[in-house]
Amino acid sequence: MTYRKPAALTVLATVMLAAVPNLAVAQMSHQHASEAACEETVLRCATKVTPAFGPDGTLWLTWMAGGQISVASSKDQGKSFSAPVQVTRERLNLDWGPDARPKLAIDAKGDIAIAFSTFRDQAFNGQVLTTRSTDGGRSFDPPKPITANNESQRFEAIGFDPAGAVFTAWLDKRNRVPAQQRGEKYDGAGLFFASSKDSGATYSDAKLAADNTCECCRLALAFDGAGHPVVVFRNIFEGGVRDHAIVTFTDPATPGDLHRVSRDDWQIAACPHHGPSLTISAQGTYHVTWYTNGKARKGLFYARSRNGGKTFSDPLAVGQLNRSPSRPQIIAGPQGLVMVWKEFDGQKTSINLMTSHDDGATWSKPTVIADTADSSDHPLLVSDRRQTYLSWMTKADGYHLQTIEGEP
Amino acid sequence: MKRHLLAALMLLATLPSALAAGEGAPRPFERGSWQKLLHAHAGHPTLVHFWGVTCGPCKVELPELGQFMKVHPGIDVVTISADLVPNLPDATRSMLDRAGLGSAENWIFDDGFAERLRFEIDPAWQGDIPRTMLIARDGTITTIEGSAEIADLNKWSDAQAATIR
Repeated sequence: MTYRKPAALTVLATVMLAAVPNLAVAQMSHQHASEAACEETVLRCATKVTPAFGPDGTLWLTWMAGGQISVASSKDQGKSFSAPVQVTRERLNLDWGPDARPKLAIDAKGDIAIAFSTFRDQAFNGQVLTTRSTDGGRSFDPPKPITANNESQRFEAIGFDPAGAVFTAWLDKRNRVPAQQRGEKYDGAGLFFASSKDSGATYSDAKLAADNTCECCRLALAFDGAGHPVVVFRNIFEGGVRDHAIVTFTDPATPGDLHRVSRDDWQIAACPHHGPSLTISAQGTYHVTWYTNGKARKGLFYARSRNGGKTFSDPLAVGQLNRSPSRPQIIAGPQGLVMVWKEFDGQKTSINLMTSHDDGATWSKPTVIADTADSSDHPLLVSDRRQTYLSWMTKADGYHLQTIEGEP
Repeated sequence: MKRHLLAALMLLATLPSALAAGEGAPRPFERGSWQKLLHAHAGHPTLVHFWGVTCGPCKVELPELGQFMKVHPGIDVVTISADLVPNLPDATRSMLDRAGLGSAENWIFDDGFAERLRFEIDPAWQGDIPRTMLIARDGTITTIEGSAEIADLNKWSDAQAATIR
């Protein structure tokens, strides 16, 4: 008896251990391997969160979590949020690439346009979907493809111009089909665009702005003082050099000339997954930040253009090269220029900040304003009428909206 | 009792990986995996290829590497899927099989904090793929960013073979 009882207990313990820790280990390793803290559709589980302020000062977020796109708003600078509204009707294979995210834009009336990408097939061909809300974010139209074409589309950008039209640009692989039929090699993807005069209910036919651009980096979109769309993107220049280019549209249907932002000479046949950031200040200056690993320079850089993107200043290096600087973002806020980026020290990711109060001529010394010890979304910047905020989703510490300190 | 428990725990510790990784499935690449990999191949010329299922240029290069492996049995060929999230072991495996790399030593990133994994491999690497690291018999690492030219790989491989003689 005294012999058997412990043996039975041991067997029982083994069975229990076999059942419980396996589950626990599976769950742990799943969460460990995921960028998400959890699998539901709530904000806490999001991997990518994009902010925008509405005309009345309400903060709106759209996020990707649990295979769905959701939206919620906050009237107290992110301290509390409205009940989320789901934009998608079913769990989708959303584009989870490092430079993908749902986007939202809000017009002066409070209408909301949203765009996001999905992987439509097993070969990871993308599809850009759009939807809108005309009832202040209470409901959204069923998401619709931005274009009838079925070739791969990804990396959409979306914004309302000052006249209230929605402008979108995205990367589109449709031109590889005729090239292949001619027996020619097709590099990259086309930069396509369309616009909508009904807050995103219907879009104009897709048109090409530039062909053979880099196919796997996000685009940067802003509007100049006259309301013309300006797009910065990683292009493929002669010889497979993936440096940045800029196009200022003369109207929402007409792209202007392509200019080069910088000669970094990054010749690479690869997906950098690392797109640029653009903002245009009240003075009309274009401010661009980007990542390169070119022969001419490596790391993060900033440059500005005072002539509508025709020529740019000498690139200014940003961040510490031995700290793997990445994901630069720039915004012209109500109190000056703000730039943030990530650095990584082997254990923690930090968000670093620099500000400029002379339209980018001089910059403050970098300071660390946030950090986290697990995976995190890109640091994004968003401004209301008074100030600029850091908007940052982290796996370990959740979502943060943080006032940028150091602004006078 | 204690000993039984310990044995049970030890058995369990080995179970999840054995269960998760079916025959031929890519191995989970975690913190510390890079040093283990370097250690395991020390003294052998090794080609380590980083790629991902959503990367366009990778789709073109992968079958060329499959061919390279066939022609160069003296080189250890290792692939590491460095796509971020989610892990897609099925898609990864089927692409490797189609490229003739099913029998290579295949790994897949298994940490949502991909910066940490990349930092262990090369602090300067921001995640662009494809990327190939050629590790010579003496441990010298040559990194090729972007798609590798097979002619360059052949040249390196020939140089490695020459070092034996």
